[in-house]
Amino acid sequence: MALAVTIVWAVVTEGRAEWRLLQHRYASLEPREAAGEEGGAAGLQQIWLPDLDRVDRCTSCHLGISTPEHQDAPQPFRAHPGRWLEIHRPDRYGCTSCHGGQGEATTYRGAAHRPIPYWPEPMASRELMEARCGTCHRERRPKGTDWLARGRALMADRNCVACHEVPGHDVAEVRAPRLDGLALKVPPSWLRGWLKKPKSYLPKSRMGDFRLSERDVEALTAFLLQPHGQLPLDRADWSKADPEKGGELFRASRCVTCHEVNGRGGTLGPALTHVGAKASRDWLYSWIRDPHRFQPKTLMPRFRFTDEQARDLAAYLSSEFGDPPRDFVGSDAPPSASLAKEGRGIYEKRGCYSCHELEGFPSLARIGPKLGAIGDRVLEPAPLAARGIETTLPNWLFTKVSGPERVLESARMPTFGFGEDEAAAVTVALLSLRAREAPPGRTTRDPAPVPYEPQGEFGALVRRYRCLSCHTIRGSGHVTATGAPLSTVALDRIGSQLTRAHLEHFIARPYGVRVGLQERMPHLNVLPEEARTLAQYLSTVMVDDALEKAVPTDPATVARGKELFERHGCIACHIAGEKGGYVGPELNGSGARLEPGWAVAWLLEPERWKPGTLEPDRGLTRPEAEALAAYVLSLPARKAKGPGR
Amino acid sequence: MTGDIPRRLWRSVFRVGWPRTREARLRAMLSSLVLHVHPTRVRAHVLRPSYTLGLGLVSFYLFVVLTVTGLALMLYYVPHPDKAYRSMKDIEYAVTFGMFLRNAHRWAAHGMVAVVFLHMCRVFFTGAYKPPRELNWAVGVLLLLLTLALSFTGYLLPWDQLAYWAITVGTAIVAYFPGLGPQVRYLLLGGYEIGAAALLRFYVLHCLVLPLAMALLVALHFWRVRKDGGLSAPPERLHRRVLAWPHLVFRELLVLVLVLVAVHAAALLFNAPLEEIADATRTPNPAKAPWYFLGLQELVHYGAILGGVVVPTGLVLALLALPYVDTHPRGVGVWFARERRTANAVFAVVALAVVAVTVVGTFFRGPNWAWVWPW
Repeated sequence: MALAVTIVWAVVTEGRAEWRLLQHRYASLEPREAAGEEGGAAGLQQIWLPDLDRVDRCTSCHLGISTPEHQDAPQPFRAHPGRWLEIHRPDRYGCTSCHGGQGEATTYRGAAHRPIPYWPEPMASRELMEARCGTCHRERRPKGTDWLARGRALMADRNCVACHEVPGHDVAEVRAPRLDGLALKVPPSWLRGWLKKPKSYLPKSRMGDFRLSERDVEALTAFLLQPHGQLPLDRADWSKADPEKGGELFRASRCVTCHEVNGRGGTLGPALTHVGAKASRDWLYSWIRDPHRFQPKTLMPRFRFTDEQARDLAAYLSSEFGDPPRDFVGSDAPPSASLAKEGRGIYEKRGCYSCHELEGFPSLARIGPKLGAIGDRVLEPAPLAARGIETTLPNWLFTKVSGPERVLESARMPTFGFGEDEAAAVTVALLSLRAREAPPGRTTRDPAPVPYEPQGEFGALVRRYRCLSCHTIRGSGHVTATGAPLSTVALDRIGSQLTRAHLEHFIARPYGVRVGLQERMPHLNVLPEEARTLAQYLSTVMVDDALEKAVPTDPATVARGKELFERHGCIACHIAGEKGGYVGPELNGSGARLEPGWAVAWLLEPERWKPGTLEPDRGLTRPEAEALAAYVLSLPARKAKGPGR
Repeated sequence: MTGDIPRRLWRSVFRVGWPRTREARLRAMLSSLVLHVHPTRVRAHVLRPSYTLGLGLVSFYLFVVLTVTGLALMLYYVPHPDKAYRSMKDIEYAVTFGMFLRNAHRWAAHGMVAVVFLHMCRVFFTGAYKPPRELNWAVGVLLLLLTLALSFTGYLLPWDQLAYWAITVGTAIVAYFPGLGPQVRYLLLGGYEIGAAALLRFYVLHCLVLPLAMALLVALHFWRVRKDGGLSAPPERLHRRVLAWPHLVFRELLVLVLVLVAVHAAALLFNAPLEEIADATRTPNPAKAPWYFLGLQELVHYGAILGGVVVPTGLVLALLALPYVDTHPRGVGVWFARERRTANAVFAVVALAVVAVTVVGTFFRGPNWAWVWPW
């Protein structure tokens, strides 16, 4: 009898298996489907993906996942939210590729909805799922991933690839100044203060805090203040310098587009709030005259200043911004030369050479481990237990990225001072680097960058004025820590967008096209013939034939355009005639500024040309767009000087 | 005439109907392949559960359970490193009664190792190895070794961390044997590392070679029991006999039912372990051999040659030599016979020592084989 009991028990246990019960429940909710008709489910369901080596049986219980009508069904029958399953069809991607968990299982617990022992891939939360997106999406900014794109951009910005081999990042992207000639540039006190804690001088510094001891700081200072590759500075007659004029020039040139001053301005270059306490006057003068002499890879253009202008500017910077930051005081005593050798040892040990070039210093191996498989790293049982944090890989990476010394006291990696969000983003980016790459048919990558190297006169000007520090052409150009270039205006087809005359005028004297625009192109003092060369080249070469379409200018079309202009309320954002809004550019005189074909293309698809733009897409037809463009381009320029000119 | 066919069919298979007369009962034992293993009459003494505890029978039934469940599992398991682990998951989650089959197989296996050991102890303590049963004892020792080998080869098949590293430790101990040790290891693994070759060899050993050897030796073991005059008994109980049908046969059926109930209950209540997939680059700390070899691993900790070679070889040789050394017919058929005090004491001490080191190795050893308290 006991035998009979155990046999019956076994059969019943199997018959009442979780997934069978759920399927019966589903059948009672959806009798039509469960009867095995189209889309019906009967018995164990399985998605087998040999190239991903995955077997997913999730759909044995999640029966309504692909049926949009089941948006409000009780779990586990609810349909998948959003449009994800249209982009990643379950029969091609399965479920665990994105969600993690144990696809082979047919029980709630076995599927690792919550972490279980002996299954190393638990189901991922929403944020951590973005790391899984990154296993296939290897491009720098995958669409729809906030954390992953941000993390990858941060990793590029902070030069992670200098010390660690990171798939998807190239050592050519590393950006840091050469350290030649420091002795002529900075006083020992500044260098000591900086090495001790870069953020005490520059709160937004990209360089991390290397947690150096006093002795290390001394030794490094001694080493760095040796005359490595020192270039002689230019001399000026400071008695004739006029800091007031320098200040006017500072404001007129719009240096704040790239350099923050007193908390406001751009971050493409270092903040200048205390630059007078850092760099000597002579050095500032020499730098402004020709930055490329000192830092060949700098993003800063070589403005066309006269020597007097440069001198006045240097004097202004030196006096106006001459106070050191509070709490940034260091001894100015010259360092002991005997420590220089030790300093060189520290320079090598902490891997300074990975980011900074130095005359005569060989390029050595990276000091950090490869990060290619960091997303699959297996941790020792409880390294974070002492901190009361559960030891999981995401926690470990987050702790390490936030503060390497928290994981290993003797760590050589610097503390970057990431905020919580930033550290989380970097963690997500790191978790996307897995030991086993997705098969080639599944991965997407950024296309291999084709370096853009303009030649001839145009090329020389582009290099001198560093157009590519802010603009991109054919995908080449500097990209900031947010992942986007500083200027939203790509130059790929600028010749088809703006008239040659306007280009020449603008390059010679940039102004704010939109009144509300904070960052504007700096005033580079480009010579008239240089502006002409640049405008000529851009108008001839940087064109897009698709935009080269004429627009009728007959009065009937213009009148129809005016009608459309009024009907769509364009005046709410644009000034036309005597009144209008300040959101978009003023439209008076745009005939002299815009190419007609471009105006039409813009009106038809603003989102395509500038994703995220405020310009609404009114669903215009081509004739309507042409009429509207004809009207706008016919608006005469205002006689009186308006704002921004 | 045609109405006769079913009856004649039945009769051709079952030559003797349900036996009710003494004569029928005698003839029934001779009439079938399975039943004729038994004698027609058995000593009443050996039927008492307190005498044999049915341990030998239980071992045999467990072997049958293992064979049946094993055959079923063979339909789903794939003996290649790329597929083995996944096939285990399929058995656990997708195959109907898969988890039950796997659990039954594993608990029956562990049970068989324990029961075979206890059976050996019983035979010793009742002096049932003495002449004329020397050869059967030796066969029994071989069967013990086969049981351990079967368990060991089966242990690797799930291809998880537990399996992989247990076999790593086990084969490393084998390699300690002077001279032939490394060769034997090479033969077992089909190479120097545990990989596809090792898995396939272990699979073939586990499913084909060793079960065949086991079946042959079991047959020999049963035949020798008959030839040696049935199970042993004390001299004064030698002659009282009862009919095999029903007394022996029904008791055997009862033991079968009890074994099945126990196996089913264990299979339903406890799940066999399955850790992460085997990873040659990640050694668990501590890496432990299967439980029946943990005593050896503990001894190896004190000295590789001692634990890996001297003790196991010594024990096996001692066991084999036993009935040829101790031939005095005193104390046969009785538990803990007075006359055999010394022998029983020695054996008990050795057996308890074996159990003790196994317990130590299982519960009291942690990372780096350091002593830990299990609570």
